Amino acid sequence: MQYTLQLVQGGIGNLAAYLAAHVLLCLLPAFFIAGAMAALIPKAGITRWLGRNTRYRVSYPAAAAAGSLLAVCSCTIVPLFAGIYRKGAGLGPAITFLFFAPAGNILALAYTGSILGAEFAIARFLLCLLFGIGIGLVMALLFWRDDAAHDARTDNLFAGQTRMGTAAIGLLLSLIVLLLAGTLKVAPLNAAIGSLTLPLPWAGTWQATLAAWVPFDAAKGEEGVNVQGSVLIVLLAGIGFTAWKGLEDIVEGFNRWTPIALGLASATLIVAALRLAPTGDALEVVLTGRVPAVAAAVAAVAYFARRLGAEELRAWLWESWRFVKQIFVLLLAGVFAVGVIRQLIQPEWIQAAAGSNTVLANAVAVIFGVFMYFPTLVEVPVARMFLDLGMHPGPLLAYLMADPELSLQSMLMVAAVIGRGKTAAYVGLVALFSIVAGLLYGAWVDRVSLGWIVLGLAAFVLALVGALAWLNGRWPPLAHST
Amino acid sequence: MLTVKILGPGCANCRKLEAVARDAAAGAGIEAEFVKVTDMKEIMAYDILSTPGLVINDKVVSSGRIPSQAEVRQWLAK
Repeated sequence: MQYTLQLVQGGIGNLAAYLAAHVLLCLLPAFFIAGAMAALIPKAGITRWLGRNTRYRVSYPAAAAAGSLLAVCSCTIVPLFAGIYRKGAGLGPAITFLFFAPAGNILALAYTGSILGAEFAIARFLLCLLFGIGIGLVMALLFWRDDAAHDARTDNLFAGQTRMGTAAIGLLLSLIVLLLAGTLKVAPLNAAIGSLTLPLPWAGTWQATLAAWVPFDAAKGEEGVNVQGSVLIVLLAGIGFTAWKGLEDIVEGFNRWTPIALGLASATLIVAALRLAPTGDALEVVLTGRVPAVAAAVAAVAYFARRLGAEELRAWLWESWRFVKQIFVLLLAGVFAVGVIRQLIQPEWIQAAAGSNTVLANAVAVIFGVFMYFPTLVEVPVARMFLDLGMHPGPLLAYLMADPELSLQSMLMVAAVIGRGKTAAYVGLVALFSIVAGLLYGAWVDRVSLGWIVLGLAAFVLALVGALAWLNGRWPPLAHST
Repeated sequence: MLTVKILGPGCANCRKLEAVARDAAAGAGIEAEFVKVTDMKEIMAYDILSTPGLVINDKVVSSGRIPSQAEVRQWLAK
């Protein structure tokens, strides 16, 4: 009984610390950006580069761009994947899109960056991009006969061309500025530019109460909740409630709850940019450079949002709200579960299995990623837990690459579109490429010189080309994809 | 009687679209049969780029977005 209680407390503690510390300045803007991308970027603007007659030099980067700009959850990814495969440029670009979308989209990047650090986000992005294109090319080479034979329908679907309005572009840019202003850890944003002392005697007591409610052990990588965190949790709950009332039927127009929800969201971002510190019998409010930066970005977002067409505005808010409903709840459940599981795992196990950057450690990480199914983005807090428990960054990256791309559920959906043989080849390639990516990044973290890393990558590519040439019985017929 | 098809693999937007379409039909007093199409192959046969798609009497009226009730009522009335 005592033990169960400790587990639940671990879960709640992790959830509270997470809500208080990590979510707001990163995830809130990221949800709105994802919504804007889904609602305001005309899909035809990107997919027209994916038509049947597009050269492979164009179609692969275009597929990757589509992955990072158009899709966030498997709900959008699989239909677009099917479309690119059947009616577009074929198997290779479709695979590139499928592989890159879960790692290259704005939510995944912003979130990886804020939880695991910028270096991880950049490594994940670059390696997924490089290897996504690689896997696409290999698949196209392996199955080029099928691709050439599969039905040559018109590519009307991919021919449209539309442009984004200036208001939509302005909105997207100012949202990105908002995300950067909230998350970048640079001096002008962190510096204090003024402070204000509020005579609130209960602040210190409240901090002590919070520490008692959510006990934490910094050595195990756990985080507690401070006064500011508790304010933010209350504000978040307020946003949740008002958004439910105000955004659920946004397609029919604004109601009186809508402005309240949006106002609360803006206020929350600004409070999150402050620094609140209880000092004895008062509360010190420190104004950082982040506050005016975030406030200006919020104002810019509001300005451009007003200039959007009514229908665009509604579509943007709806898509953002839909992402919140779809992803955020699962994310909270995932974070809670991670808090519980963390109490059960001994750091020694992780260090024994994946404490150093070996082929075996990377393979173990990949296999774990394939057999565990975590909902969209939950792989990131799980990765944080492994990192805190002593996993080497190399295998951790291998896990991060394999997990969102390969799960039983996604394999079944993909198999329905391209067939079992191709799916098996895809799964094998993703496992192989993920292991190599983990080894390379691990070597980079261990400060192996760049020359050796490049040499290793070159050897891998050569071996791959050799194997393909042998499989095809001749040198790769790249001509078919031009 | 009208046949209204909702194209989509069962995600949040498809459910929302179905709710909007049903409310629109009920609000206008139009009787219609609602069919949910979730099979990817069948969806692709309708030549749409992104789900959710709304099909009235085998004609695609919208795709990739959720129309308002007023819009759906107009399409139903045609």
